[in-house]
Amino acid sequence: MTKKNKRNSEARAWLCRALVTAVTVLASVASMMAMPAAHEADDSIRVERPVASFFMAEVGSASVIDTYLAPVAFKGVDVRLEYERMQAMRFDPQRWVMQMHAGVEYGNLQNKPGNHTEHMLMVDYRWGMMRRWSNVLTPNLQVAVGGSTQLRGGAVYKPSNSNNLVSAKIHWAVSLTAMASYRWRVAKMPVVISYQATLPVAGVFFSPEYGETYYEIYLGNHSGLAHFGWWGSRFDMTNALMADMHMGSTVLRVGYRNTIERSWVNNLDTQIVTHMAVIGVGGEWISLGGNKPNGEKARIISAMY
Amino acid sequence: MAMLAVLGMVSNSCMDEEPYSYDVYGNFDALWKIIDEHYCFFEYKNVDWTKVGQEYRAKLHSGMGSTELFDVCADMLKELEDGHTNLVSGWDVSRYWIWEQYPVNYDERLIDQWYLAFNYKTTCNVKYQVLSNNYGYMYYGDFSAGIGEGNLDAIMSVLASCDGLVIDVRSNGGGLLTNVEPLVGRFITERLYAGSISHKTGPGHNEFSKPYDYYIEPTSSKRVKYSKPVVVLTNRGSFSATNNFVSIMKSLPQVRVVGDVTGGGCGLPFSSELPNGWTVRYSASAIADSEGRLTEFGVEPDFKVDMDQNDMINGKDTILEKAFEVLDDMVAKK
Repeated sequence: MTKKNKRNSEARAWLCRALVTAVTVLASVASMMAMPAAHEADDSIRVERPVASFFMAEVGSASVIDTYLAPVAFKGVDVRLEYERMQAMRFDPQRWVMQMHAGVEYGNLQNKPGNHTEHMLMVDYRWGMMRRWSNVLTPNLQVAVGGSTQLRGGAVYKPSNSNNLVSAKIHWAVSLTAMASYRWRVAKMPVVISYQATLPVAGVFFSPEYGETYYEIYLGNHSGLAHFGWWGSRFDMTNALMADMHMGSTVLRVGYRNTIERSWVNNLDTQIVTHMAVIGVGGEWISLGGNKPNGEKARIISAMY
Repeated sequence: MAMLAVLGMVSNSCMDEEPYSYDVYGNFDALWKIIDEHYCFFEYKNVDWTKVGQEYRAKLHSGMGSTELFDVCADMLKELEDGHTNLVSGWDVSRYWIWEQYPVNYDERLIDQWYLAFNYKTTCNVKYQVLSNNYGYMYYGDFSAGIGEGNLDAIMSVLASCDGLVIDVRSNGGGLLTNVEPLVGRFITERLYAGSISHKTGPGHNEFSKPYDYYIEPTSSKRVKYSKPVVVLTNRGSFSATNNFVSIMKSLPQVRVVGDVTGGGCGLPFSSELPNGWTVRYSASAIADSEGRLTEFGVEPDFKVDMDQNDMINGKDTILEKAFEVLDDMVAKK
C-alpha cells in the first residue's frame, strides 16, 4: 500500500469512527427521550416549565465563495432576525431541555473591486434537545449536551451572471450541540454568560453539478443533485456567545454569533462564513391559563439556568 | 465543549484564500484557468488551450495597463470562435459575433413598408399579419421576450386561415430557451424529441455528463395549433436560443428553413469573474440536435438565399420571396 493510499485509508477510518460516535450519541439521546418519566417531580408539587423566548436582531459581516457563481470571494454586510425558544422537557424537566431556533438572514455582498454584487437570502429552523448538568465544578456553571435537527435553505444570487445566476442552497442535518452557561451578579443584576456550539454531523444537501444549468434541472435531469452531507463532503458549525442581563422580568441579550458552512461536491466549493453582533430581548413566561388550581404549590424549572 | 470551540476557531482560520493575485499575470491566469476548466467545446473545435495560453501570456509585461491587458485577453478568447464568449470590462465587451462577418440579410423597414404596409398587429415583441397572398407572417425578434399561451392563441387565431405561415427569426440574437418550447408546441401533435444536453462534470476537457434527452410537449388540444406548411427565415444573426428553435423546427416534416446559415451558439453560457472584477461569459453546457449533432457553427437552411441589393431597391425581400415560392410548392404538393 502506498503512503498516499495509507493516508486516505486512515482518513476514511477516522471519519467513519467520528460518524459512528456521532450516531451513537444521537441514538443515546433518542433512547433517553423514549424512556418513561422516571424523574417526574413530586406528585404533591405542581411543576411549571416556563418558556424562555428571545427575539434577536443581528448584524455583521459575511464572506461567500461559491465557485458555481465565481471563484472569487464576495464580502459584505449580513443581517439576521432570529427567534429562540427554550423549555424544560415534560418527561424530565430537571435534566432535559428543548431548544428551537428560527431565523431569516440576508447578506449584501460585493467583490473586492466593488463592481459586482451578490445577494444571499437564507432561512433556517433548528430543533433539539439537551441533557444538562448543573453545578459543574462550581455552583454557577451549567453544562448541556444534546442533539438537534436543522433545515436551512435559500440562495445566493449574482445578477451579473448568465445561466449560473443563482446558487440554490438546501441542507437538512442532524447535529451535535453543546452549551455551557455561567451565572453571576454584576451590581446586583443577574447576568448569565453562555456559549453554545452546534455541529452538524450527517444530513442531505443539494448541489447542482459542475457546469449544469438550472434549465437542465427544469427539463427533468435530477441526477447528482442530492448529496449525503458528512465531514467528507461538508462542514458546518455555529458558535454563539451570549450575555443575558436580567432586568426584572425582561432579559436583555447581547452577544456574538459565528456560522461556518463549507461544502465540496461535484468539483464545486462553497464557503459561507458570518460574524454577527447580536442584540435581543426576551424573558421567561409561564402560562396561567387552563384549569390550574389556585393556591397549589408550584415548582418552577427554568430551561435556561 | 472546549474541543468544539477549538474546532470552530480552526475552521474559521482554514478558509481558502482566493487563489489569484490581482496583478496582470494573476488576472490573465484566472481567465485562462476559468476557460480551461469550464469551457465545453475544446475538443469539438480542436483548440489547444494550453498552447493558446502560452502564446498570449508571452505578450504580458508587468507594466501593462488595463486596456492593453483587456485587448490581449480579448484576442485570446477570440481563438474560441464562440459568440457566447465575452469579456466584459467597464469600457468594453470583447466579442466574436459571426454575423458581423456576413451579409445582414434582413431589413426590418423593407418588410414593414412593402409587405406589411405598416399595418400589422404586435404582441410580446411578435409582429404578425395576414399577407395579400394569404400567407401568414410573424416576426419574432427576441427570445428574451416571453410569449404567453394566451398571446400565442391570439396570434395563431389570426393566422389560422392562412394557406402557409412564414416565421421570421432573422437577427433574433436569442434569449430564453423556455420561450422556444411554447412556440414549437404549436406545430406538433405529439411529444417531440428535441435533442440532448450534456454539461461539464469537472475541470478536465473531456469531463461531461451523459447526454440528457429532452422533449417538447405539444400544446394542449384546447389551444390553437397550426398544421399547414411553415417556412422559417434565418440569417447569421439567428443565434443561441434562436439557433436552437431553428434546429428543432427543421426536424418537423411540414417545415422548411430559408435564408442564411444561422449564427450557431448551441452552448448554454455560464459567467464567472476575474479578480479585477471583469466578467467572463463562456459556453459551459452543450445542446445537441435531435440527430446528435452540435450546431455551434449554425444550422444549414434547406434553401440558402442571400438578399439581392436590386431586389431591396425595388422593395423586395429576396429571402421572403423565396419563402413564398417554397410555400407555393408545399401547398401544391399537399
